[in-house]
Amino acid sequence: MSLNVIQPRPKLTGREIVRIVLSMTGACLIGAAVLGLVYLGTDRYRRAAGEAAERQAIRDMLGLDAAARVTEVRQFLARGARRVVYRAAAFGDGAGRAHEVAFTLDGALAGDRDLSTAAPVPKDLAPLGRFFVATRSGGTRAQRGSGPLAGFVVEGRAQGYKSPVRFFVAMTPDFGIADMRVIETADDPGLGAEVAQDWFREQYVGRTAEEIANLSVTKDPMPEDWKAALVALAKRAPDALARHRALLERERAKPIYAVTGATISSRAVTEGVRATVDHVRRRWWLLAPRLEGQL
Amino acid sequence: MSAVKVAGPVPRARELILNGIFAENPVFRLALSLCPAVAVTNTVMNGVLLGVAVLSVQVLSSVTVALTRRWIHPRVRIPVYTIIIAVWVSAIDMTLQAFTPALYAQVGLYVKLIVAFAIIISRLEVFASRQPLVPTFFDGLGMGLGFLIALVTIGAFRELLGSGSFAGIPLAPGKPLLFFALPAGGFFSIGLLMAFFNWVERRRTRGATAEPARAAAGGGHGA
Repeated sequence: MSLNVIQPRPKLTGREIVRIVLSMTGACLIGAAVLGLVYLGTDRYRRAAGEAAERQAIRDMLGLDAAARVTEVRQFLARGARRVVYRAAAFGDGAGRAHEVAFTLDGALAGDRDLSTAAPVPKDLAPLGRFFVATRSGGTRAQRGSGPLAGFVVEGRAQGYKSPVRFFVAMTPDFGIADMRVIETADDPGLGAEVAQDWFREQYVGRTAEEIANLSVTKDPMPEDWKAALVALAKRAPDALARHRALLERERAKPIYAVTGATISSRAVTEGVRATVDHVRRRWWLLAPRLEGQL
Repeated sequence: MSAVKVAGPVPRARELILNGIFAENPVFRLALSLCPAVAVTNTVMNGVLLGVAVLSVQVLSSVTVALTRRWIHPRVRIPVYTIIIAVWVSAIDMTLQAFTPALYAQVGLYVKLIVAFAIIISRLEVFASRQPLVPTFFDGLGMGLGFLIALVTIGAFRELLGSGSFAGIPLAPGKPLLFFALPAGGFFSIGLLMAFFNWVERRRTRGATAEPARAAAGGGHGA
């Protein structure tokens, strides 16, 4: 503003240009250094906070206590070798023992070995996704005894109306739905984004794996009493199941009620849940015997 | 306005803070950063969270500019100010994400937007780039407080009328005037509160000549 009046600008000589470039470069370098330091100082805590939030979400969704053990199974595709590789390790354990199992694309065992969790992932392994296996506390890790299986939590994806929808599905050991949560959707508020609402997502909970496999979506309006019951059920009060028993019996046999005006999003999520359950269910039978000692 | 470089007596801390809250309140008097002020103020809590974030970024950036202006080339001062603001915003963003993830989930989106807030860069240009360190600190504090108070006032006004509650505590049944919680209601709220602040300012400065203080504070924003 008035700076120009006080100090007439020096002519833009070559020397002046060099000074300007140095000034900007210096500012950028110092800024980058400060940000780098802050990143180094906070990254550990950010990861820990993210992991604690995921751990808590897994416990909440499966209704587990703090003593339950969670194993993270990461899935990779080895393109060149045409293999699917699974790496399992105690969740959040950066220095322990991991177990790697590889299958060919038709499901035959192709590799089975122990490695350190710190072992780097080879470049030819493309990440496909991950899921969590929870076991109830039974025996210590030193005894290598697996507790009874408590359930699975899997991250799933579906292509919504405009944007991908990301969700978590929690399954009981027999692959029935224990809980379902939408973690990310950028569809329109009031339409596609409504799939994240309690009354919609709670429709999946309690259905068995067979019911999920044959699940369809209806455009019929959702009965008001069922909607109210779903909102109440989503709060997981201990007596809610008993209170809404009659409604549950009536509605569990019916298809998923689509969000009004967002049938595409509703169908996409339903199909996503079905595919996710199906995938884990088929893979787990191959994987479970190999992971006995790791869980 | 042309002689701000040699601004006579250095303004005192109390004047500077009151200047930011009343005479040059960023939202109500300077009408700067109205867009976020409308977007996030449908509840009191949102107003508080964004207000505190802006307050910290304003003070930190003002102090940084006051300390480093000797080395900033005048031709590229605006880009350098932007870098300084962006560095502080990113640092605060990362810190919040690491240590208060629950809070970050609510305000993360707004914190990043602070980089583009007109009020911060305009204070760097009209004040921090030409005043000593201590007054700059208090100017940043005053402006930040002014913004915080404005956001909280608008938030309280809209939440009370629109949702019938205060900071999430329900006070009235139902939604008395839902209109005020919607975006259009935000503009009306700011208009009404702006009129109120103009009235307060007129009473505050009646008789006294507030002009020297304003000139010392860097003058108006040409509004």
